[in-house]
Amino acid sequence: MNSYLKRIALQPHGAVGLILLLVLFFTVTIGPVVAPYDPEKFHYSSRLAAPSLEFWFGTDHFGRDILSRILWGSRSTVLLSLLATIIGTFVGCTVGVCSGYIGGKTDEIFMRFIDALMAIPNLLLALLILTVLGANATNAVLAIGISFSPGMARVSRSVTLSIRSSDYVAAAVARGESSIWIMTREIAPNILGPIIVEATIRVAFAIMLLATLSFLGMGSQPPTPEWGLMISESREFMFRSTWTILWPGIAIAIVAITFNLLGDALRDVLNPRTD
Amino acid sequence: MRKKPPVLSVNNYSVSYYTANGPLRVLDDISLNIYPGEVLGLVGESGSGKSTLALGIMRALHERKTDESGEILLAENSLTVMNEEDLKGIRGTRVTMVFQDPGGSLNPTMTLGEHFVQLLDRHRNLDVNETKAETQRLLKMVELSDPDMMVNKYPHEVSGGEKQRVVIALAFACDPELILFDEPTSALDATTAINILDLFRILQKKTGVSALFISHDLGVIREIAHRVLVMYAGRLLEMGRNDELFTTPKHPYTRALLGSLPKVGIGIRNFTLNTIPGALPDRTITIDGCIFANRCDFVMPSCRLGEFDLKGDSIHKVACPISTKILDTKSVSNSVNSVNSESNKNFKELLIVNSLSVHFSRPDIIDRILNREIPTVHAVNEVSLKLRYRETLGLVGESGCGKSSLARALVGLRKFKGRVSLGDQKIDNINQINGAYRKRIQIIFQNPDLSLNPRHNIATILSRPLKLYQPVSEKKLQKKISELMNRVNLPNRLSTRFPYELSGGEKQRVAIARALAAEPDVIICDEITSGLDASVQASIVNLLQNIQRENGVSYLFITHDLNLLRFIADRVAIMYLGEIIEIRDIDKLGSPPYHPYTEALLSSAPIIDPNIKCRKIHLKGIIPSRTHQIPGCPFETRCPRVLGELCRKERPETQHIGLNHQITCHLDIKKLEAVTPIWSKQITDTTHAN
Repeated sequence: MNSYLKRIALQPHGAVGLILLLVLFFTVTIGPVVAPYDPEKFHYSSRLAAPSLEFWFGTDHFGRDILSRILWGSRSTVLLSLLATIIGTFVGCTVGVCSGYIGGKTDEIFMRFIDALMAIPNLLLALLILTVLGANATNAVLAIGISFSPGMARVSRSVTLSIRSSDYVAAAVARGESSIWIMTREIAPNILGPIIVEATIRVAFAIMLLATLSFLGMGSQPPTPEWGLMISESREFMFRSTWTILWPGIAIAIVAITFNLLGDALRDVLNPRTD
Repeated sequence: MRKKPPVLSVNNYSVSYYTANGPLRVLDDISLNIYPGEVLGLVGESGSGKSTLALGIMRALHERKTDESGEILLAENSLTVMNEEDLKGIRGTRVTMVFQDPGGSLNPTMTLGEHFVQLLDRHRNLDVNETKAETQRLLKMVELSDPDMMVNKYPHEVSGGEKQRVVIALAFACDPELILFDEPTSALDATTAINILDLFRILQKKTGVSALFISHDLGVIREIAHRVLVMYAGRLLEMGRNDELFTTPKHPYTRALLGSLPKVGIGIRNFTLNTIPGALPDRTITIDGCIFANRCDFVMPSCRLGEFDLKGDSIHKVACPISTKILDTKSVSNSVNSVNSESNKNFKELLIVNSLSVHFSRPDIIDRILNREIPTVHAVNEVSLKLRYRETLGLVGESGCGKSSLARALVGLRKFKGRVSLGDQKIDNINQINGAYRKRIQIIFQNPDLSLNPRHNIATILSRPLKLYQPVSEKKLQKKISELMNRVNLPNRLSTRFPYELSGGEKQRVAIARALAAEPDVIICDEITSGLDASVQASIVNLLQNIQRENGVSYLFITHDLNLLRFIADRVAIMYLGEIIEIRDIDKLGSPPYHPYTEALLSSAPIIDPNIKCRKIHLKGIIPSRTHQIPGCPFETRCPRVLGELCRKERPETQHIGLNHQITCHLDIKKLEAVTPIWSKQITDTTHAN
């Protein structure tokens, strides 16, 4: 594991990704401790205050300190979207690998079902699931995870198909290995590269989707300091008080960039044929 | 001819690649001349730097990743100092290149004709009609049957041999001074390859073009080159006229390389092929003295000092100070193995395959509803063969003839019809294949890069069959793994390595060890040496023979290399388009009767031994598609001895000649017996033979 970290750090984009990840890690763990104010405290005298020494990132329309809200919000935003991506990846990969490996009619049925799901936009699908399950943050994570899984299933299936025809899988079949072993030990490690890249890109999407759901009142509920929610709440003031939307926007962008950089670096490192 | 100035001269040319471990010296002080009308053969194993030299001459090396020194002169122009604009005028016109894979060098989105239009338009400024005429002329020149049809076809619609002909036509299109060939026949079937080589020989004579012909295959170089250069780890070790170099090789490396080849003419089995122990030297560090010293049998202290340049007369130069007399003390010919395995030969049959067929089809729901005929590929068609105890049965045939499908059906990777009996176990379809059967029959694949999981280390790879077939404790497992690795001559320290950290030969040893782990009765070897260098191939083949002698395992050895088969097999089955057309003893391979296809196949095997003359047979005609049942003999379309209607309409009967020989052909055995043998001893000039 250490050698992987070292090899990630040796690549320029990997090093930047790791540094950003470290920053993110500290924001999530000790951010709320060092936050200057209570994220939900109203400072009536200084509503929509521009960034100053008192409020580094400015305040929003209720006079809440944006820096504190960002620091507090990192927990729900980053962790929930990571969780959603992990759920989506896990479910999608399981379906994709099984479908690709078993093939034939099973594959056909799975894939047609997935095609049907993919015809519904992610957001609509998530909304549909939330209306059934009930609107709260936990269910939003679940809904995003499920709406991501068809895409992940598609990707993992197509990689599985190419691996399945390789001679080492043929060798495993010929010596009588169980299907479980072949799927988990022969195929799964070899499809990791593309899956990780796909997953890291989806983290950014998950943040946006979570924000949208929160905005529609189906995810995190106000006054929770959640980045996406912060953006949608400040929508009306964005032209006169740019900072209200700028800081959460930057925060989301940084998280997205972090995971994309890490994804690229991981793909290179996990590919066994590159030194 | 020598008086003329050379077309290409390379002077003290060196190339290094930048790598993480420092600069890697790929070419080390190379000097060579190619004279007008000359074909210079460049032979070397993989990693010797041959392709880098070709890329260097084409000026296609990556500038930022390489460091060059020295000079390359094309006639009087120095290519090494020329700018990119001027080089564009030279590439494709004065110097052209033919690559190994014809499919890769043609653009799949362009018709064959468009390739010519593009090239002729760029370099020769011809108008539309002239271009058309010229394309026709070029296609006729490379003996393509229907040029009018060819120009409208896309690369995927024609065969590999036809593609390579088109590439050659493109190479000749602008009357170049020099053509670089980089393994042009390695990707082709043997019978196609000799046609391509012959075509090139004719064109070369007609146009007088010079060529650098790069190959790892000594047989091909022997066929085509006027002069031969031997390259090793980036240095030239020997240069000589074709006949000189092959009859009296002077460098220990050349001698070892020739010794590692199975030769036609030595008819007897149970020789041990010579191998070259050791590996290519690490070229990231500077090496003093002779580059081959670490693997040389004759190494002396002085070999590790000073520089060794090519020395000698214009006919034969060598970079080795050891005299031929000393080298002759150790014979280069393959040594006879003392163990006589004939005594323990057992004629009892172990594996019996009875009219086995493998068909591929993709039944579509719509096809079924409309009651349409479903296209089916008859990959293997009612094949019957028997494999005896302790025997090696060779299975030969060209690519696409169904050898691999047969192998895969036998190990339960493909559905099949027919019956397979292994000992007392009878298998009628794939669902009857159980663990016991799988344990007894193992397969080794062609490419170890693909057959070893890149995510598993060697210990894991070897532990799987052990765990599956004979569960043992963890401690015993470790012991078993190290035993297996010893068995295939792999050092134990490699057990924690991953496949990509091993060399090609080592990887194939791991694959062999994995097959041995099951302690099988039959091992199917599917082209297991075709991706390996000659000296590595020799060591793998020797290893397989040793294992057979000790464990008594039977091999079904699939290959397209007939010379190799003469070395390892007891009997050989020849396959053509999914059918076995002949099975015979290997010892009498040189004497008729042969099936007409066997005859052509034998004649296409390259001959290195200068004392043997080979009667060449060139196959014409198209290979029928296997989507339909062929009513008659599958070889009818290309058979030089075809009888007409009978061959087309009726299936030939299998004729038995003695216990170990069967031919499936309409021709009378008497007629086939009267055929002149393929190989004949040539009475050679005694001054040349050693």
